[in-house]
Amino acid sequence: MIDKITEARKEFDTFVSNIRDLKALEELRLKFLSRKGIIQNFFEEFKNLPPAEKRNVGKILNELKNYTQTVYDELKEKLESQKKKTGHFVDITLPGRKRQIGSKHLITQTLDEIKSIFKGLGFSVYEGPELESDYNNFEALNFPDDHPARDMQDTFFINDKFLLRTHTSPVQIRLMSQKKPPIRAIMPGKVFRNEAISAKSYCLFHQVEGLYVDKDVTFAELKGTLVSFIKQYFGHDVKYRFRTSFFPFTEPSAEMDVWWQPKGKEGRWLEVLGCGMVDPNVLKNVGIDPEEYVGYAFGMGIERTAMRKYGIDDIRILFDSDLRFLNQF
Amino acid sequence: MKVSLNWLKDYIDLEDITIEQIVDKLTYAGLEIEEVVDQAKLYENIVVGYVKERKKHPNADKLSLCIVNDGSRDYSVICGAPNVAQGQKVPFAKIGAVIPSNGLKIEKVKLRGEVSEGMICSEKELSISDNHEGIMVLDSSFEVGNPFSKVMSLDDVILDIAITPNRADALSHIGIARDLAALFKKKLKIPQIELEEIEEDSAKYASVEIIDTENCPRYVAKVVLNVEIKESPDWLKKRIESIGLRPINNVVDVTNFVLYEVGQPLHAFDLDKLAGNKIIVKKADKGDKFVTLDSKERILSESDLMICDAEKPVAIAGVMGGENSEVTNETKNILLESAFFNPSSIRKTAKRLGLQADASYRFERGVDYNITVWAAKRAAQLIAMTAGGKVCKSEIDVYPRPFEKKSVELRYERIKKILGYDIEKETVKKIFTNLGFGLNEQGKSLKLDIPSFRHDIEREIDLIEEVARIYGYDKIPEVEKISVTLEEKIDQSENNDCIRNILNSLGFYEILTNSLLKEEIAREYGNPIGVINPQSAEMSHLRPSLIPGMLQAISNNIKVNEKNLQLFEIGKVFQKINDRIETFEDFKESEHLIIALTGNAVEDEWYEKERRFDFYDLKGFTTTFLNKYLPGAEFEIMRLDSDKFEYGMQILLSGELIVWGGKLDGRLLKPFEIQQDVFATVFDLDRINSVEQKIPEFRELLKFPKVFRDFAFILDSEIEAGEVIKVIRNVSSNLLHHVKLFDIFQSESLGMDKKSLAFRLEYYDGSRTLTEEEVDKEFRRAIKAVEEKFNAKLRGI
Repeated sequence: MIDKITEARKEFDTFVSNIRDLKALEELRLKFLSRKGIIQNFFEEFKNLPPAEKRNVGKILNELKNYTQTVYDELKEKLESQKKKTGHFVDITLPGRKRQIGSKHLITQTLDEIKSIFKGLGFSVYEGPELESDYNNFEALNFPDDHPARDMQDTFFINDKFLLRTHTSPVQIRLMSQKKPPIRAIMPGKVFRNEAISAKSYCLFHQVEGLYVDKDVTFAELKGTLVSFIKQYFGHDVKYRFRTSFFPFTEPSAEMDVWWQPKGKEGRWLEVLGCGMVDPNVLKNVGIDPEEYVGYAFGMGIERTAMRKYGIDDIRILFDSDLRFLNQF
Repeated sequence: MKVSLNWLKDYIDLEDITIEQIVDKLTYAGLEIEEVVDQAKLYENIVVGYVKERKKHPNADKLSLCIVNDGSRDYSVICGAPNVAQGQKVPFAKIGAVIPSNGLKIEKVKLRGEVSEGMICSEKELSISDNHEGIMVLDSSFEVGNPFSKVMSLDDVILDIAITPNRADALSHIGIARDLAALFKKKLKIPQIELEEIEEDSAKYASVEIIDTENCPRYVAKVVLNVEIKESPDWLKKRIESIGLRPINNVVDVTNFVLYEVGQPLHAFDLDKLAGNKIIVKKADKGDKFVTLDSKERILSESDLMICDAEKPVAIAGVMGGENSEVTNETKNILLESAFFNPSSIRKTAKRLGLQADASYRFERGVDYNITVWAAKRAAQLIAMTAGGKVCKSEIDVYPRPFEKKSVELRYERIKKILGYDIEKETVKKIFTNLGFGLNEQGKSLKLDIPSFRHDIEREIDLIEEVARIYGYDKIPEVEKISVTLEEKIDQSENNDCIRNILNSLGFYEILTNSLLKEEIAREYGNPIGVINPQSAEMSHLRPSLIPGMLQAISNNIKVNEKNLQLFEIGKVFQKINDRIETFEDFKESEHLIIALTGNAVEDEWYEKERRFDFYDLKGFTTTFLNKYLPGAEFEIMRLDSDKFEYGMQILLSGELIVWGGKLDGRLLKPFEIQQDVFATVFDLDRINSVEQKIPEFRELLKFPKVFRDFAFILDSEIEAGEVIKVIRNVSSNLLHHVKLFDIFQSESLGMDKKSLAFRLEYYDGSRTLTEEEVDKEFRRAIKAVEEKFNAKLRGI
C-alpha cells in the first residue's frame, strides 16, 4: 500500500508540472481529489487494513491528502489570478482591426525615383503648363514650320497657335527665358500625343527632361551624368550604349540604350532616353549666347520605363484606375 | 527604308566586313537598323527536291502521296497541289524548316493515315510571289539537295533602316554606302555612265518652261525614243523585289531603281501624250480637278505645284503623276523628269492630299540638286538597256535659280569645347573627305565645302556632330566627375509630393485619368477648350474639372466589383476665358486635387457593423488633410450651394475659396452609371500652394492642469451645432480653448423637432492653475448665453 501511495504522489507531481490552465486543473481534481478520485480510493482501502498497518499508512495517506490539496489550492489561485489579469480569453487568431494606407500611382513612384536620383546629382525640379503655345513647343525648339521633323510627334492642336504639349521641352524654353545660366534642372510632367489608344500607346504619358546650361558643359559630361543615372536606376552592372539620333533641339543628338535581358528570352537593346547638346538655335531663341554657353538636355518616357521595370505589357492599365492594379504597388 | 546588302556591294567593297559590324556601325552612326532579314537563314532546311514518284493518297481524293529525294534519301510527302508530277524538281521544306510566309514549322505529321515528312512549297509560301495556284516548279538543271536560297540566288541580307528626318542624303543605297565608306574607311564607287546617244538633242523633241522658279529651281528632262515597254529583266526585278517593291514594267522599274540607288525621284511621261511636247512648271488653279495615277480625282489648291503640258496639268509635282500622261504598254517615246522641288511646297501638297509616296518623302526632305543630270542619264542608260530605246543627246536642263555653294568653318578648338574630348586633326579631315566634303585647311580651323546632298549641314555645330557620329559616340569618354552648380536648388514638385504622402496615410489611392473628355460631359463643368483634331468624339475637350475623370474611375471599379473606394487625383484642369484663344490670358490652366469616397467606410467585421461613407467622412478627411498640409491656417467652413452637389461645404482661407465638396448630385453620376453615393472634395492647389508656408513656431508645453466642463441642451433640431459653438466662444474669455460636441441625441421623449447636443468645454491658462470659481463663472456664462440665444433647455451638467 505504501508503495502505491508513493507511486500516486509521483504521478500527481508529473500531472501538476503539465498544467497550464484551469481546465487541466479540473482534470487533476477529478483524478486525485474528487470523491471517486485516487486518494478517496486509498481511504476506502485503508478501512480494510489490519490495525497494525493502519497507523503507519494512515500517516502517509494524510500527508498525501494534505499535500495534494495544498498544491491544488495554490495552483488554482495562481491560474485564476492569471485569467483575471487578461480579463477574458484572447483569441490571437482573430484578424486585427483593418487600417488602410493608400498608394501613389505607379507613374508617380517611378517619377519619384528618377527625381531623387537627379536631385542627388544637383538638379532642381521645375514644372510648366500642359496647354502650350506652338512657339514654346516647336518653334523655339528649332522645329521649323512645315518641316518633316514635326511629323515625329503627332500633336493635338487647340488652334494654329496653341496645342497640348508633345514633350516637356517647352519648360526648358520657359526656364532659359526667365533665368540666366547656370541652369541645372529636370522637368517632369504630362505630355500628349495624338495617337490611337492601344496596348502600346495612350493619348498622354509622362516625361522627365533634364537641362544643364553653363560655360563648360560638354558631351562627355552629358554621357557621365546619364551613366551615373542609369547605374543608380538599373544597377551598377547595366550594359548601355549611346548612338547617334536626331532631335531638332539638340545637336549632336544621341539615344541611350540599355541591354534588356528578360528571363528565358533573347536579350535586346532598349531605348531608354534621348539626349544631346542644346542646339545653338535654341540658345539664341532664348537670348543665351551659344558662343559663350553650352548646354546639354535629355529626356525619357516614364510609362515605358515603369512598364519595363514591373513587367506591364498594356499601357492602358495605368489609366484605368482599377483598385486591383493600384493596390499592388 | 529597306536596303539590300547585295545592292550596297555595287558601291562599296564589304568583303571583309560582317553583317554584325555593319549593323553596329550604322546604328551607332544614326542609321538605326530595325530589322535584319538574312535570306539564307530564312530558307534554312529548304532544298531542291526531286519528285521520284507520285500517286494518289489512298484516303483523300485531293491529296497525292509523293516520294521526294533530297540527294541523300527518300521522303514520303503528302502534297495538295494539283500540279505536282513525277520528275519535277521542287522546293522541298524538310523537317525543321520554317515556312517564310507564315512561320509554320515543318514537323513529321500523319495526314489521313499516311506519314508526311516535309512539304513541297508554293511561291507564295516562300514569299517569292503571290502565286499560290500550285507548287513552285524549279529549273530541271538545279542539283538535287542544294539549298533553295543558293540555287535561286536568294543570298541577300535585307536591312530595314529607320532614317531620321535630317538625313535625306541617306535615303538611297549610295547614301548608305557613303556612310559605310566613312565608317569603315573604304572608297565609295559611283557607277560610271557610258551612254550611246543618237544625234538628235532631247531639246528637239520637247521643251521645258518653269514659271514658278521658287518652288522648282531646277528641272532636267531627257528624251528616250522607241522604247518597248515590257517586263524587266531578272536582275532588275530582283533588285526591286529585294527592297519590298513590286516590279511593274521596265521603265517604271528603272525609275524606282534610280530612286533607290541615288535618292533622286524620277518621273517618266509618255511624250506623245504631252500636248505641244511641252513641260510647264507652275502653280495649280484653285479648285482644278486632276486624276492621278491611282485613278482618283484630286481637287487642287493654288499652292500646289503642277507639271503641265501646253494645255493641261499632267502631274502633281513631286507627289504623283497623272493618268493622262502615264506610261502604258503602248508607250513608244518617253520624257524623263529629274527635278528639284522646294521641300516645303511638296510637303504642303502631299500632306493636304494625304499622298505620301517614295518621291514626295524625298523631295520634302531635300534631294541632291547636283544629281539631277546624273540621275536622268542613269535612267536613260538603264532604259536603253532594258527597253531597247534610243537615247537623245544631252538633257534639257532648266536651272533658273542655281544653288550657291555652301561652305562652313569648323574651329578645331570648338570640337573639344562641345564634346569635351580632343579628336586629332587628321582624323577629322579624313572623316570629312570620306563623307564627300571639300576641305580647305586654314590653320586653326577647317573650311568645309558642303556637298549638295547634305541639306542638314549649315553650321559649325552640324559639322561637329558629323565628327562625333563617324568617330563614334562610344569612343568619347565619359567624364569621371560631374559638376554641381552653387545656385539654390528648387523643387516645384515637392508640394504635391507632400500632398500625396498625407493622402496615402489617410488611406487614399492615387489615380491618373485622361485629360480629354467627351464635349457633352466637359460642358457640364464649365466652358471647355476643344481640340481641333481629336482621336474621337469621346475625347475631344480638355477637362474643366477632375470630377468626371474621378467618376469614370469609380465606374470602372464598380464594374469589376470594387465598390468601396477612397481615391485621389492631382491634375491640370482647363477653362476657356475668351472664345478665341490667342494668348495665355484667354484661358486658365489650374492645378486641382480631388479626393473621393464611395461605398462602405467599414464592411461587416467581427468587431464592427457595416457602415457607408457619408458627408462627415468626407469632411473629416478634408479638414484633417488641410490641417496637416497648412498647419496653423484658419479656415472658414460654410454651406455650399451648387448644382454639382446635393449638399456640400465650401472652405475659405482669408476670404478666398480654396476647397469645395460634398455629396455629388445624382445627375452627374448618371452618365457613368453609378448607383451608389459619391462624396468628393475639390482643392484648388494653385491657391492653396500660393499660401505662404510658415515655419511653425515652437509653443511651450502646458505646465498647468486643464479643467473640463460638460453640458447638454435640448433645442430645436434645425439649429446648427456650429452656431451654438460660436455663441459659447463669443461669451467666453481666452481661458476657453476647445469646445467639443460629443453627443447628439434625438427621441420622442425630447419632443417633436427637438434634439439634445452635449458639449465638453476645455479651460486652461498657460501661466497658472485655474480656480474652480473662475471656471464655474465662465461655464455659467456659457450656459446662460446658449439658453437665451437658442431658447435651449439645459438637460444636464
